[in-house]
Amino acid sequence: MIDLELDEEQQLIRETVMSFAAERIRPAAREADEAGAVPEALVAAAWELGLIQGSVPEAYGGYSAQAPSAVTGSLIAEGLAEGDLSIALHLLSPRLVVDPVLVLGTEEQKQQLLPTYLGERFVPGSAAVLEPHTNFHFTKMHTTARRDAEGWVLDGDKCMVPLAASAPYIVVYATDHEGTLTAFVVASGTPGLEIGEREKTLGLHALELYSVALRGCRVPDSARLPGDASGLLRRARVAQSAMAVGVAKSSLDYAIGYAKERDAFGVKIGQKQAIAFMLADMATETDAARLLNWEAAWNLDQGNEASREVAIAHRYCADIVMTVTDNGLQVLGGHGFIRDHPSEMWLRNGRGFATFEGIASV
Amino acid sequence: MKILVTVKRVPDPESSIKVNPEGTGIVESGLKWVVNPFDEIAIEEALRIKEAQGDVEVVVVSVGVSESQEQLRTGLAMGADRAILVKADRPDTAAVAKILVKLVEKEQPTLVILGKQAIDDDSNEVGQMLAHLLGWPQATFISKLTFAGDKASVECIREVDGGMETIAFALPAIITADLRLNEPRYASLPGIMKARKKPMEEIDAASLGVDLTPRVRIKKMAPPPARTAGRKVESVDELINALQTEAKVM
Repeated sequence: MIDLELDEEQQLIRETVMSFAAERIRPAAREADEAGAVPEALVAAAWELGLIQGSVPEAYGGYSAQAPSAVTGSLIAEGLAEGDLSIALHLLSPRLVVDPVLVLGTEEQKQQLLPTYLGERFVPGSAAVLEPHTNFHFTKMHTTARRDAEGWVLDGDKCMVPLAASAPYIVVYATDHEGTLTAFVVASGTPGLEIGEREKTLGLHALELYSVALRGCRVPDSARLPGDASGLLRRARVAQSAMAVGVAKSSLDYAIGYAKERDAFGVKIGQKQAIAFMLADMATETDAARLLNWEAAWNLDQGNEASREVAIAHRYCADIVMTVTDNGLQVLGGHGFIRDHPSEMWLRNGRGFATFEGIASV
Repeated sequence: MKILVTVKRVPDPESSIKVNPEGTGIVESGLKWVVNPFDEIAIEEALRIKEAQGDVEVVVVSVGVSESQEQLRTGLAMGADRAILVKADRPDTAAVAKILVKLVEKEQPTLVILGKQAIDDDSNEVGQMLAHLLGWPQATFISKLTFAGDKASVECIREVDGGMETIAFALPAIITADLRLNEPRYASLPGIMKARKKPMEEIDAASLGVDLTPRVRIKKMAPPPARTAGRKVESVDELINALQTEAKVM
């Protein structure tokens, strides 16, 4: 019954994603962080990997034999995030639209919306989940969807909306008149959809994040993805947790490499118990987080609601990414504080997981 | 046109290799296995020829254990059309070359592309042996391959000691790929998914009627000696003295 072996396809996907992350994403991460933008050439190169097409069933122009698997999604998310979190979120952003449409959309919506994201070139996707108020919870959105004779009217404020300025569609999450969390696919330029300033953030500098206001934003009935959208957000949280594992892993591996090289008092610092124990803790936490994440993902793939598993995985991954990246920086001592090493960037990027309930994710 | 490309399953060059206590080989448990990096370059070259010329079938071939299927699958995921696995237990280079001769006779390729050597035993022999056994022209260590207009011959640039050598010869031929020939692509997700449906043929080496008796015997395997720490000298004279009397390099 217990089997943690990845199938041959998943192993190949994982290898591809991890090689790309190590060889292409990681070397570009610092410059992207400084420049506040993901380089276009990198986005184009990543598009060749078919990350999005690979998760869409053949019937809609993709290559997957089945519906998107949360476990495979976790492998991809962790692998890319090990390269860089901002870049990973940017590259996977089309899934912010593709996944909700695949899971909840009608046949008509799938035929209409999916081709946009399966063409020759990368097209950014976006989702408006978070709201700028103190008691935000993803199941109780303040943004409302009011039904009227012509369709739906959306009202509310959203923050940390990725790539909102360039995405052709934003999936807006709102509470409808019956209190159900509902997803609406809103086209850019829809009157009442106001894209605000780019957010200035502690981490994720390379990722464009915007505040978005909905002021009597009127959308047709066909923009509404039928059904309860909370299942989608559980999927998003699992992918997000996997990314937290990826960030923790990068900091851990970097710290191990450093501890094996750095001399102090005549020995490598990795031979000092104070450092060795810290690294052992970091490795244990990272592996445990990955297992919790896989369990949550596996449950979703089995069709289970898995609220509990997803919540536990998310909480633990968000916690350990902070301790691991913090310790990862500490192992480097003073060097960890300067930008010559990437550890400070991982600390900043990893900090967000525990802060936002539903930041941009797949 | 048909191109045959060889793919060897080798330990990941990133992994740390340990020699077993008996000194007969390496410890294989827990090792990660990959496609020989030079073979990846060979696959990439075949795929580029296919993309440039259109009507080309790329067949990846491996001689070895059943698990070599994984490496063949990588070749298929990169874009090769089909795969052949010849199951054989630790064949030496001569045996591999003889097996490949049988496959060449069966498949009738116009070009066979191999990595210049496998990074496990670094023998660098199979391509040369295969060319000899077939009596075909060969170009080893190539960094550039150009087809003539009529596609009946090719021009290759070889990386030789101290420079480049350009040679031209008629097809069919044997080519072995050097590092600078190209930069292999990543297997894409759609490629990985399509690979599942591509044919993979399995052949037992014994059924090919070739003499597989090893000509090479490994007498002993040992790790390279650990490097001892350097020594600081006080003066230039002492350094010169040490280089003359201890290191004996002056």
